[in-house]
Amino acid sequence: MAELKKFLIRRMLTFIPTVIGVTLITFMIAYVIPADPARAWAGGEKASQKAIELIRQRYHMDEPWYAQYWFLVTSLAKGELIDPRTHNPVMYDIMKRFPVTIELALFSFVFILIIGIPLGIISAIKKDSIIDTFVRFFALTGVSTPVFWLGYLLIYVFFVMFRVINIVGKPPDPAVVITGIPIIDALLIGDFKTVNQHVARYWLPGFVLGFMGAGVLARFVRNSFLEALSSDYIEFLKAKGVPKLRLWRHALKNALVPIVTVLGLQFGGLLSGTPITETVFSLPGMGRYAIQSIQNIDFPAIVAVTFLFAIIYVTANLIVDILYAIIDPRVRY
Amino acid sequence: MSGEEYQKSVLDRVSDLFIELLAKLIDRVRPGWYERNRSKVSEWKLMAYALNRSPPGVIGLILVLAFIFVGIFGPIIAPFSYRYFAIYDAPGSDLAQPGTVVVTKDNRTLYFPLGTDHFGRDLLSLLLQGARTSLVISIITIALGVPFGIILGLVAGYYGGKVDELIMRITDIFLAFPALILAIAFAAVLPERIHEVLQSNAWLRDFFLWLFALDQKDAGILSRPLAVILALIIVWWPGYARIVRGSTLSARENLYVEAARAVGLSNRTIMFKHILPNIIGPVLVYITLDFGGIVLMEAGLSFLGLGAVPPIADWGRIVYDGSQYFPRAWWLIFIPGLVVILSALGWNLLGDALRDILDPKTRRSIEFKLKKRRREE
Repeated sequence: MAELKKFLIRRMLTFIPTVIGVTLITFMIAYVIPADPARAWAGGEKASQKAIELIRQRYHMDEPWYAQYWFLVTSLAKGELIDPRTHNPVMYDIMKRFPVTIELALFSFVFILIIGIPLGIISAIKKDSIIDTFVRFFALTGVSTPVFWLGYLLIYVFFVMFRVINIVGKPPDPAVVITGIPIIDALLIGDFKTVNQHVARYWLPGFVLGFMGAGVLARFVRNSFLEALSSDYIEFLKAKGVPKLRLWRHALKNALVPIVTVLGLQFGGLLSGTPITETVFSLPGMGRYAIQSIQNIDFPAIVAVTFLFAIIYVTANLIVDILYAIIDPRVRY
Repeated sequence: MSGEEYQKSVLDRVSDLFIELLAKLIDRVRPGWYERNRSKVSEWKLMAYALNRSPPGVIGLILVLAFIFVGIFGPIIAPFSYRYFAIYDAPGSDLAQPGTVVVTKDNRTLYFPLGTDHFGRDLLSLLLQGARTSLVISIITIALGVPFGIILGLVAGYYGGKVDELIMRITDIFLAFPALILAIAFAAVLPERIHEVLQSNAWLRDFFLWLFALDQKDAGILSRPLAVILALIIVWWPGYARIVRGSTLSARENLYVEAARAVGLSNRTIMFKHILPNIIGPVLVYITLDFGGIVLMEAGLSFLGLGAVPPIADWGRIVYDGSQYFPRAWWLIFIPGLVVILSALGWNLLGDALRDILDPKTRRSIEFKLKKRRREE
C-alpha cells in the first residue's frame, strides 16, 4: 500500500503544474482577442465612452498582462467572473448547462460499452471471420464519420420518417436534486416518467456521440482479449482441460483491465464531440454554450468554458490513472 | 534477391513500375543514389507487395489518391466557379434538387447534377472546390505540426533529464484539453491577428489565395481558414512529441547509437540520421491516420461556424448552411458528409494497412509466400 500512496502523491504533483499550465493557455486565448470587446459589449458603435471605460475597468483591460492574468485566475477561482452578455457569473451560466453535457456523455458511454465490449469479444473469439472483418470495418467507419452527418441521418430516420424521438427543448428535472444529474436523480427517487422523457431526448444524441468510440473500443477489446488468450496461464488451463467458456472468463478478467485507460482517453473524444452533437440536436449544454459565446466574442465565457472542459478531462484522466493503479499493481512504477 | 523469382500480380507490376520510376527520379537528382540504395528500393517493392495483398489497403490508397487528385484539380474541372451565384441569372435556382436543369434569363441551360445551395451555387462545384480547402489545410497542418512535434520529442527523449521534464510538462498541458475544444478556442480568436499579417504582406496573401484557388475578392476572409490551420497545428503537435519521445527513449539504448557516439558523431547527427530513421515507421502510420482525423476535425470546425465562411467552399460549412433547410435540402447535408466520410475513411484504411506493412514480420511472410509459389510451379 505504501507504493500506491507514493504513486498517488507523484501523480497529484504532476496534476498541479498541468492545471496552472491550463490557466495560462486559456488566458492566452483571451489575450489574443484583438477586437475591442468592450465596445461590442457596451452596445457596438453607439456605445458611450463612459460605458466602454467602465467595462474596460471592470475587466482590467488596460493593465499589463500579468495583472489581467491574475484577475482572470482569481475571479475564476472565486466564481466571480461576470458574463458581460447575461450579467450572471459565468460559472452560474455554465453550471446550468453542465448536467446536460454530463448526461449526454453518460448516455454515449453506455452505448460505447454495450456495443464495444460484446463486439470486441465476439470478434476475438471468431478471429479472422466475417464478424471480425465487420468489426474492423465498423471501427474504421466510426472514426471516419463526422458526428453531424450521422446525427442528421438518424434525425431524418427517427424524427422525420418515424417520429419516435424528441429533439426539442430540455426534459424537466426531477423534483429532488441529489447528484445534480437529472436522470440519476429521477432514477433514485423512482420518478420513471421523468426518466422516460430523458431517455427519449438523450438516447439518439448519446448514440451518435458514442458511435465513434464504440468501434475503437471493440477493436481494443479484441486485441486485448486475443493477447490474454495466448498467454501462458491460458495455455496451462487448456492443458488441464478446462472448458472453453471458463477459459474465456479467465482471459476476459485480465483483458478488461487496460480498458479503463482506453475509456479515459475516449472521454476526451466525447467532450470534443459535445459541441457538434449539441448543435445538431439543439441541446443546451456546455459545448453549445462555448459556440454561442464565441459568436458573441464573449471572452470571459470562452475562457471559463475552455478551462472547465480541460479541468473535467484532466480530472477524468487522474481518476483513470488512480483506478488503474488500484486494479493493476504493476503500473505503480 | 532479384525481382524475377516472384510470382507477381498486375498490381505488383504497377507498383514496381512506380517505384522504379521514383528511384530513377531520385537518381537523376542525386547521381549514384540508385546504385547505393538497391536494397532500399527492393524493400520498398516488398512493402508495396504487402499493400497490394490487403484489399482494404488498396481501397484506402485509391480513395486517398482520389482525394489528392480532386484536391489538386477539383477547382479546375469544376463545371461552375464557386462564386457563380445562379440565383441572379435564373430565379428559383436556389436549393434546386439534384439533377435539376434550369434555364437562365438569357436562355442558357444550367445543369446541376447534385443540386444547389441557397445561393444557387452548384453543389458539385462546391464539393470539388472544397476538396482543395480540405487538402491544403490538412497538408499544411501535417507539414508544420508533425516536424515540430518530432523535433521536440527527439530532443526530450534523447537528452532526458530537465529538458525532457520541461518539454513533456508543456506537452501534457496541451494534451489536457479535449482536442476540438482547444481548436475551437484558437480558431475563434486567431483570425483577426492573421488578418493584420495578411494585410501587410501582399505576397503572402496572394500565395494563400493561389493555394486555396480563391478569387482576389475573398482575400478579406482568407484569415479564417488560416486560423483553422494554426489551431489544428496547436492541437496536433503534442501527440507526436509524446510518441516520438517514447520511441526515442527505447531507441537510444541501442548499440548503434552507442557506436555512433563512440565514433564522435554530433548529437544532431545521431538524432536525425540514426535514431529518427529507426523510429519513423509508427510515425508514418500516425501521419496517415491523422490526415483522416484532420479532414474530419476541419469539417467539424467549419460546421460549427469556425473557419471558412461563404463564399469559400468548405465541406463542413456546406453542411452547416444546408442544415438551416433541413430536412428539405437533404442533399446539402448528406452528400458533403459522404464526401468527408470517404476522404477520412481512405486515410484510415490506408493507415490501418500501413500499420501491418511496416511491421517487419508481415513483410517477411510476404517474401516467403512469393518465393514459395515460385517453387511450387
